[in-house]
Amino acid sequence: MRNVIRLIWFDLKPELKPPVWIIMEWAIFLVQVGVYGAMLSQLVTGIEDYRKFFAVGLVIMITFDMASHTGRHFVEHAHEGRLPYLLSLPISRAKLFLTIALQGGAELALMLAVPLTVTLIIIGNLTWLSVIAVVLALFWLGFGIAGLMLGLSFIAFKSSDLYTAIVTGLSTIIIRFSTVLYPIIFLPSYYESAARISPLSYGSDLIRFILGFDPTILMNPIYAAVILAALAASTLGLGVFLIQRLVEGVKSA
Amino acid sequence: MPAVETKNLSKRYGKVYALKNLDFTIDENEIMVLLGPNGSGKTTLLLILATVLKPTSGQANVMGFDVTTQPTRVRQILGVAFQEARGFWRHKPADILRFHASVCGVAKTERESAIESILKDLELWDARNKLFMHLSGGQAKRMEVSKVFVQRPKFAILDEPTSQVDLRGKRKIWAQILKLREEGSTILVATNEVREAEYLADRVTVLDKGNSVVCDTVRQLKDSITGGDIVELEIDTSDMQTLRNALGQIEGTVKIINASSNHLKAYVSMAESWVPKMTDICYQRKARISSIRVTEPSLDDVFLHFTGRTLRDGDT
Repeated sequence: MRNVIRLIWFDLKPELKPPVWIIMEWAIFLVQVGVYGAMLSQLVTGIEDYRKFFAVGLVIMITFDMASHTGRHFVEHAHEGRLPYLLSLPISRAKLFLTIALQGGAELALMLAVPLTVTLIIIGNLTWLSVIAVVLALFWLGFGIAGLMLGLSFIAFKSSDLYTAIVTGLSTIIIRFSTVLYPIIFLPSYYESAARISPLSYGSDLIRFILGFDPTILMNPIYAAVILAALAASTLGLGVFLIQRLVEGVKSA
Repeated sequence: MPAVETKNLSKRYGKVYALKNLDFTIDENEIMVLLGPNGSGKTTLLLILATVLKPTSGQANVMGFDVTTQPTRVRQILGVAFQEARGFWRHKPADILRFHASVCGVAKTERESAIESILKDLELWDARNKLFMHLSGGQAKRMEVSKVFVQRPKFAILDEPTSQVDLRGKRKIWAQILKLREEGSTILVATNEVREAEYLADRVTVLDKGNSVVCDTVRQLKDSITGGDIVELEIDTSDMQTLRNALGQIEGTVKIINASSNHLKAYVSMAESWVPKMTDICYQRKARISSIRVTEPSLDDVFLHFTGRTLRDGDT
């Protein structure tokens, strides 16, 4: 386990010197909520204080970005020649996958520290219980998205440009056709069907449920929890399977 | 028991075999050099032994551990310097070595002194706090092999350890490899540099198209070539083919090949008696000899002898 921590810290350290990207992400969040969110809450009349709804949506979007980044990070490992080195270290494959997942989790935690705190303050629900519940839900969502992106990273394994294009396109679709920014009850039927497929809908509505939003405007939280757990388990399983098949080359066996 | 052993080892990428039914052994405390052109399967074999790739079929054992079923045990005793010195662009050499040494279990008390000693020996000390991305190609390569020298593993794998490194740097790396062997390590070096193979090898395995063509000591390999002496000639003549046929009749001639239009390479048994006869024939046929060079065969000649191609031909 010590080697897992060493590897995470070794990879994370240069990104924190200095942590410009994290501070920029926090600043963008604060501007989005403080300016854009405040304006929107005056324009949107269907929900009481849309800014709260919007802030949770932004937290979900950051989670999605960071989980995508984990997949991209893996592609970069392969493209930059780091992957064979990592695979040759005296760390079992299971621990190596754990390292990738935990590093993604650590980056996500750093990135969300300020946005999540601010969101909970705006909502008026900054308690230990809410923090733990939300972090757990976000972790599951991040796990699922990271697994999905790991799977995708293998589709685009030979080209990081192609991977970027796919993820950009996918993020546009997954975020817009979801309940991240709009409650499901206000969506037209054709749009609602698409939103029910997006994993982000389940992640965002589960967190809103935990934080005490009106359940009548949300998707069923039990379904959401089950679907997020299934997504995390299946996509990570897919990621491990693909790593073994394509990186280590057992595909040809 | 050999330190490393493969039996019927094959690796297939789609329909192409990178390795085909390879039987191969390395004795304990031996430097085995894999010699072969690019695409001969050297790197694939190294990656399988390093547990980075899995074989399509066959078996490979390192110090008694199966690379497929006990990969973590294998990783605990090996150190690898990869062909491409890439990866941790935003890290500093000293930090990379510190990380590597700690993950590979080098005792904390020995780490700093080992890192300092290797960085100084390989002339990387002044660059220790530069970012990896700012190192030159040669420095990056020296950095890559430094990991193995700091780790001092039981089984070391070095893939083209001195490519892109200048002669001075090569000699320092070779000295470190020999020192590692003196300390008891078993070492596998892949290269397509003949001089490196001759300098380091206890034994050489010649790989070609995923097969082991021959394996022996450098001396034995050279002696195994019939016509141990090589006479290289540069001749100006209007009829090279006829002259070549005439030279082929001299006693002790094993074979003569055209290295280029005016350059012949003769494999002969006794150069000291062959050369005077050759000069007589050239004089009679009014062929002007502009250069004569007598050499013993190189490992390139060994490769040519056993595969019918030169190491450089094999690259293409």
